[in-house]
Amino acid sequence: MNDNYHIFSDGRIERHNDTVRLVGLDDEKSYLPIENAEALFLHGQIDFNTRVMSFLDDHGVAMHVFGWKDYYAGSVMPERGQTSGRTVVEQVRAYDTPERRRALARKFIRGSIHNMRANVSYYDGRGHEFGDVIEQLDTQQERLEPELDVSELMGVEATARRAYYSVLDDVLPDGFVFGGRQYNPPDNEVNSLISFANSLVYANVVSAIRATALDPAVSFLHEPGDRRYSLALDIADMFKPVLADRVIFRVVNRSQVTLEEFETDLNGCLLTESGRKTVSKAFEETLNETVEHPRLNRKVSYQYLLRIEAYKLKKHLLTGEEYVPFERWW
Amino acid sequence: MSDTDPVELLLESARDETRDDEFHVTGVMMQYYAVCKRELWFESRNIEIDRENAAVVRGTQVDESAYEDERRNLSIDGTIAIDVLEDGRVMEVKPSSSLVEPAKLQLLYYLWYLQRVVGVERDGVLAHPRERRREPVELTEENAEWVEGAIRGIHRVINRESPPPAEEKPFCESCAYHDFCWSC
Ligand code: SF4
Repeated sequence: MNDNYHIFSDGRIERHNDTVRLVGLDDEKSYLPIENAEALFLHGQIDFNTRVMSFLDDHGVAMHVFGWKDYYAGSVMPERGQTSGRTVVEQVRAYDTPERRRALARKFIRGSIHNMRANVSYYDGRGHEFGDVIEQLDTQQERLEPELDVSELMGVEATARRAYYSVLDDVLPDGFVFGGRQYNPPDNEVNSLISFANSLVYANVVSAIRATALDPAVSFLHEPGDRRYSLALDIADMFKPVLADRVIFRVVNRSQVTLEEFETDLNGCLLTESGRKTVSKAFEETLNETVEHPRLNRKVSYQYLLRIEAYKLKKHLLTGEEYVPFERWW
Repeated sequence: MSDTDPVELLLESARDETRDDEFHVTGVMMQYYAVCKRELWFESRNIEIDRENAAVVRGTQVDESAYEDERRNLSIDGTIAIDVLEDGRVMEVKPSSSLVEPAKLQLLYYLWYLQRVVGVERDGVLAHPRERRREPVELTEENAEWVEGAIRGIHRVINRESPPPAEEKPFCESCAYHDFCWSC
């Protein structure tokens, strides 16, 4: 279970008896083992019809569509029978109670800053001096007072993220120049990598949320409706340093992705198909890596950590028990 | 909320389904009450959670088939489902040694319900398929008090705003809410 399948070629997916098959432009057919699938990631130009869509729906398989501009284009989510009026009611109640909303928004940022700090600490001392950045992150962490409203909290998060990203130019190998975060579309190689990896995190969080009957559109830190699945943005932010950024550092430092792997034109700078393949593969490997969970007393995959985060949030909403954000503990 | 004794409330609810403070107790709720009150609270609110390897299911299912041909399954009031043996005794299967109390309480509740609501007196038998042994169970006065205490306790638990806090128990390992309780 929980496998993601990435499809890079162009063609068509169709239902064939009790399977889903991919038919390439050259008419070559391959089959997708969807019994184990969590989601299909469509990176190429893929046609599909309602028949295959309802088949995927029956099997609870999501489709995440990756387009060109900023990569993520949208998701087709299975109904999954995971709807719970009660959960959504509690979610909206928490959103609508300023104190509770602020408290959750603060927790998400606390988790994000903690995880950014963990990455910076890793590089601090390994040939780099990042003491000042760590200090800046700690300062922002301390600014997270209960009185701050959501837009002020957003400001703290933005300041922290800027400090965090300032280490990138030092950490990445020669030739990779970051110079600040640019979106829609990304304007250089590093931004392009970040956008792509972040959208992979985001899509996986969308899948994780879906498994818990939480409404992905009701969020706490981001404004509901900022994007369709704004709750996924709330949760994804905490995982970007641990999932996306680690993958980026890895593929670039091992020269698995070089500057050749990008295409720059008026539409910005985008990863080529082979670059996307490399990053997706490294990303899936990371999702499947496991860590010992101190409370569950077993090893869990990074992908399951996303699911756990959704459980924790749901538990908080339904029981009032404290939500403790994901903070890397290893 | 009314101040009616939950036991009275349950008896009245059994007679009159249209009350707005209706209170029903199923056999499973009795079992959860004895096993884990937090689980009872979750169940009462239909909080569904599946854990990753959902293969672990409480012992019950394993032994379900053990006495298949000698019992008849009866549903009473749509609330309780009992297994009646040919000799008229009510049977409950004890799945494992750690769950003997919950199974016994559940059986006693059935006997109590039959007596108080339906008006028939029955004896019970707790079956131990693995040990091929059957233990007679009777609704003594003391046992009836145990049941009524549990009814009041269940009423208290499911009316709580939040669930009782998680406590590590031997059952947690095989509980469907395991990751929900312990991912923290
Ligand atoms: S995991 Fe343990 S504490 Fe939680 S509901 Fe199950 S038995 Fe109760």
